[in-house]
Amino acid sequence: MKKHRLSRYLFTVLIIALFSLCSCAHYQKNLPLTDIHQNEPYTFDAFNQSQGADETFVILTFSGGGTRAAAFSYGVLAEMNNTKLPGLNKTILDEADIISTVSGGSFTGAYYALFGPRIFADFKEKFLYRNIQKELSLALMNPANWLRLSSPYFSRIDLAAELYDRTIFEASTFKLLSDRKKRPFLIMNATNLYQGSRFEFTGEQFNYIGSDILSYPIARAVTASSAFPFLFSPISLVNYPYPDGYKMPDADKMALKDYWNNKSRYYKALNNTMYADKKGHPYLHLMDGGLADNIGLRAVNDLYLRGGIRKKINSGEIKRLLVIVVNAKNEPQETLDKNESPPGLATVALKTATVSMDNYSFETVESIKKMFADRIGAQMNLDGCQQKLDEHCKDGYKLPALAGGKMKLYVVDISFDNLSDNDEKNFLKHLPTTFHLEKNAVERLISAGRLLLKTHPEFKAFMDEFK
Amino acid sequence: MEYLLVKFQESRGVIIDGISEGMTNEVLELETGTHSVTLEAPPDFTPDLHEFILRKTSVISPKVITFEKA
Repeated sequence: MKKHRLSRYLFTVLIIALFSLCSCAHYQKNLPLTDIHQNEPYTFDAFNQSQGADETFVILTFSGGGTRAAAFSYGVLAEMNNTKLPGLNKTILDEADIISTVSGGSFTGAYYALFGPRIFADFKEKFLYRNIQKELSLALMNPANWLRLSSPYFSRIDLAAELYDRTIFEASTFKLLSDRKKRPFLIMNATNLYQGSRFEFTGEQFNYIGSDILSYPIARAVTASSAFPFLFSPISLVNYPYPDGYKMPDADKMALKDYWNNKSRYYKALNNTMYADKKGHPYLHLMDGGLADNIGLRAVNDLYLRGGIRKKINSGEIKRLLVIVVNAKNEPQETLDKNESPPGLATVALKTATVSMDNYSFETVESIKKMFADRIGAQMNLDGCQQKLDEHCKDGYKLPALAGGKMKLYVVDISFDNLSDNDEKNFLKHLPTTFHLEKNAVERLISAGRLLLKTHPEFKAFMDEFK
Repeated sequence: MEYLLVKFQESRGVIIDGISEGMTNEVLELETGTHSVTLEAPPDFTPDLHEFILRKTSVISPKVITFEKA
């Protein structure tokens, strides 16, 4: 009797000890910077190419939308891989310089940036055909994980990150990407819940939070980028004190003077420099990049206005610039407006959290098209003026040249709406945002991505340049 | 976008907001707002730095700033 009581006591102690041990489970922390130059290997500037290699500059953006977005962007990659540049011994995919990704698109973008053409051999099996939803549910049902999940510092998003790390991204960190030094430069986008602003996984952004990007796992960045509201909790990062010698970038210092001159520049700098208040903001909590920008184009917009692309244009390195926007926006079949009674609280909460995700995608594409049109307009104005001067002034005066010269600029916006086959369009537009689709749906998304790229008028115009 | 012409007696790299970007005597495209501009080494020019607000320019009527040989 006494022995039985003792073993029961021991069992209880064991359970409590195990529970205490597991409830100490902690998410994988980002590490602090020890040197201000530590993040330089994962900046766009560090991915420089040989002289002349940037004459054709290709940017891809992959939207959110779960497996639907991942498969659709995979189709575009496959078509690019299949498209030879006339007269050159390479494909258009070999020319890809930047991939900016959000949510589901981050799986495809990160996999390609890490493993290159291998994506065409194994990515379908590794991700597109898998029932990730089910695997995540099984992980949640595993009693060993219940104990870990009882910790306030470990949640279901960390289980997802572990699953992706183990089964898709092979425990890779940003160091592996920086060691490859091979374009495309990958920019994965998440959203900082505090300001609702875009947070990108790059060396520059990690400098602002005093953290080392090279040791950070790719899988955790992908998980943050795809932490869909309500399905997942946020990914947390520590905002560390700066190492000795850190200085606020001059561009931010200038931009902070621009409240009345350029509010978009001012607020961008304000968001960047907010992280300097280490006591006020010791942590960041990141969610799906789609909350700030669901097509990944704002990162490109920033690089064109004031970043690496602007530098290359003003330095005359880019002759033709192609931006391919892959937008897997859907139209889920809903019955919200079929009933007189308003939807319930859960529906309203989910709708409220996600309704903004695609609201401004169209405007973002139009905005970059307008910037490109303005550039072409400036080139034409300068040419026109010079022609008039040549006609009417005999002293041979030459206007100062525009840096970058006569660039050609193209925006290829790929979405299901471009499909002429209405049945296929409706099928694809009604696919849900989930991490599990039937093989048939995955294959149809891939085919649509391929078809829509090769038949896009702007893409054809770009390719004609090489003939 | 706005337009800036940095004049100097020779072709020299231009540093805008701390970043090397473009050359003197060419029209550079930049974002509206406050910018600081200097030249790449050698430090044989004056002034050391221009700081100004760039707005309401066009490609045929850029803002012009000048560095003189020191």
